[in-house]
Amino acid sequence: MTQMLLYPKLAVNGIKKNRRTYLPYILTCSGMIMMYYIVSFLTLSSFVGEMKGGDYMQLILYFGCGVMVVFSAIFLFYTNSFLIRRRKTEFGLYNILGMDKRNISRILFWETLIIYAVSMAAGISCGILFSKLAELALTRMLGGTASYVFNVELKSIVHALVYYAVIFLLIMINSLRQIHLANPIELMHSESSGEKPPKANYFLAIIGAVLLGIAYYMAVVIKQPVSAIFVFFISVIMVIAATYLLFIAGSVAVCRALQKNKGYYYKTNHFISVSRMAYRMKRNGAGLASICILSTMVLVTLSSTICLYIGEEDMLRQRYPRNIVIDTYTTDEKLTSLTHGAVEKVLDEYGETPENVLQYSYLDISGGFEEDNVILDPDRIDELSNSLDPDIRQLFIVTVDDYNRLMNKNETLSDGEVIVYPTKGDYGYDTITLDEYGTFTVKARAEDFVDNGVDSMQMVPSLFIFVKDEAVVKELYELQLGIYGSAHSYMHDYYGFDLSCDEDRQTDIGNALFDEISKIKEEYPDDWTGVSIDCAAKDRTEFYAMYGGLFFLGILLGAVFIAAAVLIMYYKQVSEGFEDKSRYEILSKVGMTKKEIRQSINSQVLTVFFAPLIASGVHMAFAFGIIARMLSLFGLTDAGLFAIVTLCCFGAFGAMYTAVYFITSRSYFRIVSGKE
Amino acid sequence: MPILEVTNVKKTYTARIGSAKVEALKNVTFSAEKGEYIAIMGESGSGKTTLLNILAALDKPTGGSVLLDGTDLSKVKERDAAAFRRDNLGFVFQDFNLLDTFTVRDNILLPLVLTGMSYRDMEKKLLPAAEKLGIAALLDKYPYEISGGQKQRTAAARAMITEPKMLLADEPTGALDSKASDELLSVFSRLNAEGQTILMVTHSVKAASHANRVLFIKDGEVFHQIYRGGCSNEELYKKISDALTLMASGGNA
Repeated sequence: MTQMLLYPKLAVNGIKKNRRTYLPYILTCSGMIMMYYIVSFLTLSSFVGEMKGGDYMQLILYFGCGVMVVFSAIFLFYTNSFLIRRRKTEFGLYNILGMDKRNISRILFWETLIIYAVSMAAGISCGILFSKLAELALTRMLGGTASYVFNVELKSIVHALVYYAVIFLLIMINSLRQIHLANPIELMHSESSGEKPPKANYFLAIIGAVLLGIAYYMAVVIKQPVSAIFVFFISVIMVIAATYLLFIAGSVAVCRALQKNKGYYYKTNHFISVSRMAYRMKRNGAGLASICILSTMVLVTLSSTICLYIGEEDMLRQRYPRNIVIDTYTTDEKLTSLTHGAVEKVLDEYGETPENVLQYSYLDISGGFEEDNVILDPDRIDELSNSLDPDIRQLFIVTVDDYNRLMNKNETLSDGEVIVYPTKGDYGYDTITLDEYGTFTVKARAEDFVDNGVDSMQMVPSLFIFVKDEAVVKELYELQLGIYGSAHSYMHDYYGFDLSCDEDRQTDIGNALFDEISKIKEEYPDDWTGVSIDCAAKDRTEFYAMYGGLFFLGILLGAVFIAAAVLIMYYKQVSEGFEDKSRYEILSKVGMTKKEIRQSINSQVLTVFFAPLIASGVHMAFAFGIIARMLSLFGLTDAGLFAIVTLCCFGAFGAMYTAVYFITSRSYFRIVSGKE
Repeated sequence: MPILEVTNVKKTYTARIGSAKVEALKNVTFSAEKGEYIAIMGESGSGKTTLLNILAALDKPTGGSVLLDGTDLSKVKERDAAAFRRDNLGFVFQDFNLLDTFTVRDNILLPLVLTGMSYRDMEKKLLPAAEKLGIAALLDKYPYEISGGQKQRTAAARAMITEPKMLLADEPTGALDSKASDELLSVFSRLNAEGQTILMVTHSVKAASHANRVLFIKDGEVFHQIYRGGCSNEELYKKISDALTLMASGGNA
């Protein structure tokens, strides 16, 4: 009986004795489980699902569940390695006292079980508690009505139990593996095993620097939003690799180089810091690089999702320039008068009048740009799109008369002259040569034009070309008919208007319009070329659900990443405190004053801790352009807003980071100065 | 005038639990002349480490005074103590106390760096000191790469490089094998012959037999002392052994 209780008892004792390191670990586990439960709860909750746009939101949150599990696994593995390093001495002692590795495995098993049980209980209960809060926030975001019923999602609990059981099992197996590999003497001394002085690996350091340079260069140079996504992923991977290389190898190389500079190195302020740093960096480089990458992730996620959330009303208006837009795929009188008639009929029925009417016609063609030469041939466009940064744009051909009318301008063009208006990019040439047509001279660049839903919906940038008259449009229409054959583009009659009634009524009108226009299709199949009807009210909830969901997920994941960074910092401070204690004792015996010791600690701890923050700031600065370009794909073109949001995020994050630094560094000072 | 004057030094500790007082040093009085080589011997718990800590200004006596070259150690302020140690004393410890992140060179230079000396001046001092201790070839090695004896000689070089008024050694041979011990002791003798004042706390009769004078401490008091006079090391060894036997058997010398 007592034998059976021995292992759990030893396990409990082990946790209690090491509470300085175990408590934060258990807290993190609970936090991760709590977050997982909340996200999973919202994903599965039928209440959320029934909300307007809730299904869409749940799709995004579902993705968040996966991220949570994967991240928990990686992160808990990492923090557990800190714990095991500290526990090895104790296990070595047990081993010498006569416990074999099987006994130790049993202790470890009980320990894992206890931690699992405690953090599960804490995590799930906090999760249930806070899930209501999250639900309310989400309801608010989607503009639904809050419910005051308290729900518990059983399925989420089961998922959490299973997923985290697997993670804990893997962690335990990993710890067992480490203990089985070591002999008792090694276990006893594993914490103080003398390590070789780090050699500067200039090769890796240079590779890191080169990778970072290339990634930064790519991020800055890329101009096309579509290729930005691809390049972004590549450069993210490169930046991660480079960050690790630079923190691990580069930092040591820098320290070594500093040591070679005798005049600099042999100064009281630098002597101890630089030599300690070389050691710290070798071992902690990976941890610091992780902090740096986590910080960058937090910054990117938060700033872009906040930005999308703030800018969603603008984006909506860009996507839907008017409450209702009827786009008829021809400028032929017969069909357009039918559709316009249908609109009139429906609006009469509802007793509404169109306001703020926007009407013009255009031709849209896609073209591949080779500088100022536009390729229309689809095969050659395909060829072009295989290059790294292909410049493919949608061309909107509009008459200058429409431009003048809509924008209140008074421009006249002679033959062969055009005015251009590029979106999501620049057009820097003075001429445009259209394949098989001829060259236009760019007379002017328009500063603005009415938004077009097709343009804001598409990833590719657009170029509006305002031509002299209807005849030019016609010629270009005929030209592309010849080139594209059955895949040809259409002329568009664009007719949009706002309504002053509420959203539900707008949705009804949208649906009625849809029915009415469907009738035209049945009655005049020969004249039918297609009509698209956009009703902003109908899509608004979906739109809000998507950006609200991203925002929500951004906040949740941001919180998790920050928690992770905090914990890594804490463990670093504590484990280094124990290591550095004896060093500072020696220094004080040799005649270093307390003040000098404090200064030396300050300077190296500051450098070590703020290096990741600074590095992530630099990463952010270089990523800014490319992220802004990717956001433009979502229709968010306000780079100023993004800049402000990013700076705010960086400021807030930096303040929090500093606060955490001060709290954790206090425990470091306490340990080093022997108060513990 | 003696370089070190220890007068009626007392040290009492209050136990952590309760108010029971432990007298580590009852009443210690002795003095050391410049150029002397003194060994302090005593059993574990006799108070010799406490005495050394007081001499090193790491600890303050409860009573009495310690004058080093005319400076009263109890008057040295806490925050000046480290600088005082650095400028006036050199230390050699049983467990070497070398910093593993430094090369032998940097370990030796450490006290000079702390005083803010320029690298050019340091370099001038480094080589002679290293050569004197026979570690000139090891300067670029790290502590983990060299033997115990070499480590202790590095520590001695670190202690000597500031040209201290007094070299304090706490069981310097405690962690060394007999060959390394012999080497270190002959280094100490040579330093002493060049005029260095040395005060060494030790268990080892062998180590003590290299000194000019041996003080025996028992129960917090100087119990006995032996002068070398004209004795050889071996004769002194014999005398020390006899004195220790006598002390252990409770007799009065």
